[in-house]
Amino acid sequence: MAAAREIVIVGGGHNALVAAFYLAQKGLKPLVLERRAVVGGAAVTEEFHPGFRCSTVAHSGGPPLPSIARDMQLAKHGLEKLESPVRLFAPSPDGRALVLASEPIAAARQIEQFSKKDAEKYIELHKALERAGAILSDLLTLTPPVIEKPSKGDLWKLLNVGRKFRGLGTKEMMRLLRWGPMAVADFVAEFFETDLLRAAVAARGIYGAAMGPWSAGSTALLLLRAASDPFPVGNSAYPRGGMGALTKAMAAAAIQAGAEIRTGAEVEQIVVKDGAAAGVVLRGGEEIAAKRVVSGADPQRTLLGLVDPVHLLPSFTVKMQHYRCKGTAAKLNLALDALPTFSALKNSSEGNAALAGRIHIGPGIDYLERAFDDSKYGDFSRAPYLDVSIPSILDSSLAPAGKHVMSIYTQFAPYRLKQGDWTQQRDALADTIIKTLAAHAPDLPGKILARQILTPKDLEETYGLTGGHPFHGELALDQLFTMRPLLGWARYHTPVKGLYLCGSGTHPGNGITGASGANAAREILNDLR
Amino acid sequence: MPKKYDVIVIGGGHNGLVNAAYLARAGKKVLVLERRYVLGGAAVTEEIVPGFKFSVFSYVVSLLRPEIIRDLDLPRHGLEILPLDGTMTPMQNGDYLWRVNDHAKTRRELDRHSKLDAEAYDEFAQSMVAMCRFVKPILGMIPPDPTSLDPRDWKKLAFLGKRFQSLAAEDKYNLVQLMTMSAADFLDQWFETDVLKATMSASGIIGTFLGIRSPGTAYVLLHHYMGEIDGAFRSWGFSRGGTGAISSAIGAAAREAGAEIRMEAPVARIMVKNGSAQGVALETGEEIHAGAVSSSVDPNLTFLKFIESRELPDDFLEEVRRYKYRGSSGKVNLALDALPNFKCLPGPGRHLRGAISISPSTEYMERAYDQAKYGEYSRRPYIDMVIPSLTDPSVAPPGKHVLSCFVQYAPYKLSSGTWDEQREAFGDTVIETIAEYAPNLKDIIIGKQVITPLDIERQTGLTEGNIFQGELSLEQLFFLRPVAGWARYRTPIRKLYMCGSATHPGGGVMGAPGRLAALEILRDTGKGKR
Repeated sequence: MAAAREIVIVGGGHNALVAAFYLAQKGLKPLVLERRAVVGGAAVTEEFHPGFRCSTVAHSGGPPLPSIARDMQLAKHGLEKLESPVRLFAPSPDGRALVLASEPIAAARQIEQFSKKDAEKYIELHKALERAGAILSDLLTLTPPVIEKPSKGDLWKLLNVGRKFRGLGTKEMMRLLRWGPMAVADFVAEFFETDLLRAAVAARGIYGAAMGPWSAGSTALLLLRAASDPFPVGNSAYPRGGMGALTKAMAAAAIQAGAEIRTGAEVEQIVVKDGAAAGVVLRGGEEIAAKRVVSGADPQRTLLGLVDPVHLLPSFTVKMQHYRCKGTAAKLNLALDALPTFSALKNSSEGNAALAGRIHIGPGIDYLERAFDDSKYGDFSRAPYLDVSIPSILDSSLAPAGKHVMSIYTQFAPYRLKQGDWTQQRDALADTIIKTLAAHAPDLPGKILARQILTPKDLEETYGLTGGHPFHGELALDQLFTMRPLLGWARYHTPVKGLYLCGSGTHPGNGITGASGANAAREILNDLR
Repeated sequence: MPKKYDVIVIGGGHNGLVNAAYLARAGKKVLVLERRYVLGGAAVTEEIVPGFKFSVFSYVVSLLRPEIIRDLDLPRHGLEILPLDGTMTPMQNGDYLWRVNDHAKTRRELDRHSKLDAEAYDEFAQSMVAMCRFVKPILGMIPPDPTSLDPRDWKKLAFLGKRFQSLAAEDKYNLVQLMTMSAADFLDQWFETDVLKATMSASGIIGTFLGIRSPGTAYVLLHHYMGEIDGAFRSWGFSRGGTGAISSAIGAAAREAGAEIRMEAPVARIMVKNGSAQGVALETGEEIHAGAVSSSVDPNLTFLKFIESRELPDDFLEEVRRYKYRGSSGKVNLALDALPNFKCLPGPGRHLRGAISISPSTEYMERAYDQAKYGEYSRRPYIDMVIPSLTDPSVAPPGKHVLSCFVQYAPYKLSSGTWDEQREAFGDTVIETIAEYAPNLKDIIIGKQVITPLDIERQTGLTEGNIFQGELSLEQLFFLRPVAGWARYRTPIRKLYMCGSATHPGGGVMGAPGRLAALEILRDTGKGKR
């Protein structure tokens, strides 16, 4: 048998690639094993209909932390960011269009059509999120401290965050402490009176979560996201060539740094010898010995699926089983013959330019909450919340000339259905999504050439996301920071010596920032020192 | 002008009375002003139907702090707590879940539903006791200010940190979950029997505008568990003579210590001069001067009704306006000719002496919440009932009974119509819901009192009918209650204090805010001269 490698990495998602890069930089020559034919995990660009390509799973999110983009020289490796001057378009139930420009002052002017007061408050919120985000962004790159006995290093870092926090002044400090556990519906109501604007901002607190806007703690999620982008309704930029172009650039950077990447290599088992990770076994039986194993897969897949339970304490296994990782999101990708006509834009000066950012379908707080209600009892939303992107507007490489791709992120579609299963319900879900959109763009159904529906079951089976959860586990207060994935195991280590986690199921998780991968690499390198 | 009083306490609810009693015992000259003809605020007994004494609002005692019972010698002043034995939950399939104080019996009963749950139940109880031990000292603590650099604040935070470290690893894990999770998610980790989870999670939503699946409700579960572990003090039960008897006992203790209590003396405003409280003016126009004013009513009344806004800083006012009340519960009190007869356990029996909970499934509980979110009262609400007349015959004529029903959800703000229009229909919904399990109920009702959140507000003054003077949600607890930066019973106005449930540690007939506020007032003003 060949000599043991220093490190193998399970999975080739974006966090795994970031970890691979940092580990390779130190000469560890990590081997990345990706199950599918393409790296990227949930950040991939795929051809779902001849000539039509799109970011099949994640279509926005991130961006990668600036430090990571810089270290990995992603631009040099082909990453080109496309940014629409419009961040978000949200059709109003009364037929008007809420269009938010990327530039805050311009966005505020557009809000004035709905409410003068809201326009002012919008700027205020943007600034408040900027200040809060500046502090929280420091937390993103921090390894969660051991709360029982924080090390000197932990204390120093926390102290620094604390110092910045104090810099906010008492009033804002208290405000931030108060905001975290709040329901995002209450949070947006402190700022805005226009229901549509409230919903467009609140959506950021429930995106990818099994929470409605009235769920306590949803504000924490919004704040976590504001740490990457303080714009109240979030980011709408994506790379030319789709999200796959980002992970492709990451893979190129990792390879250049010395990592090796194998696709079509599914890890079936993590080998544990004498309580320590010793390598992996691939489907087909090939064994790869390694001194350390880093898993970019989610915590449940890693510790309940790939590791033989005899190596774990039953109490740990039980806790891991209780880790909440049931997704509520689905994806519908459409190949379109032409751009659909949104009724709300007919009389708007913006015209189709408004479609180049994200399109928010979720006209009010109650609408979003009702969409969530259905999912609590095992139904998908009869009137779902949709986050839509038509990336082919800015990026003609994704579709044949004049044609378009539409990527529709959908909530709520619970992993477990009360009646039937997803094989039976997939078309009903796709039809519901199209019907919901057609209420705002009546000519849409006639323009659909092909469709690809990804239910939570597909996200699990095709993309390896346990429970179909796009974020590797609920981003709820009890599963964040020192508690992600479990209290006592938030520092990228696992009870198996030499086995690490580096995916979204670790702090900070959430979106395509790469922070989990970078943090994990730092901890591994610390151990090696 | 000579001041006749050292401290005026606004409101004769249990916290106001506890506050007054502690101040008077320290030698202060105290005057309590109560708006109504009866003392106790939301802890009152009233004879609404001739011969029947209703604990109109609060109906069981669980949280009254043992140190207050001891310090004020309440048993000598007439407080007698009668045990309330267990909880019975009738199920939709005709079965029931009946937990009693007798451990072996509860275990056998749980065994009948799930062997695993029977085992987990003991472990759960042990863990909850450990949690309660951790949280208890917090209930008796003046909240620290985490943004301050004062070493005293850091000492408190360090104390909490140290206690946390001393917990067993499992308990740490559970505690962190309790502070952040929903009651239902938390219980899902322990139990599999749905009706058990539904009934237990109910204590996580009482008095909040949250559902059992809303994060934060696990903490409220613990808040309510607190009383149960004090078995030695027998603090879980009825007070003989109804909940009003608690207020009478505290009132008697306060009077004995020298406090003066004036009834039917509604306060119109708090007199402020140069940023300092001077006393109060009554609705009659009478002005009473005092060295300090301690308000046991909620922040809405204290700061927005009793004080002119120019006396308060704008950002403080903004925070006071933002403070959430959102009453979500109502009460139906029934005078009965006979005992209700439950289909699942026919005839009279011990099961009627405890609480009876209409919480047949977690889905039932969550659906009840869903309706409230959109401004309707639950068509099939969660109901917690007791028949105090079985344990305390003094509250009903011989052979007759009182059925006291706590009902959730009944949102203060309705999406259509008013509570005055919907009161009857609400009462009927409650009676019909119970009648599904006890069909004879409709035939034995001799009198009824339906209390909506609007009625709670009108009668007790509690804003929006919130029984805890503001929601017990994470962002309104501890150093954030009621307003960040003002969680230590003081206010932006000198010599004006808060001592009600809107301050740490919050609601329930606990008395802790009243006591802690008294200690702070004494710290500022020194002991009295006597």
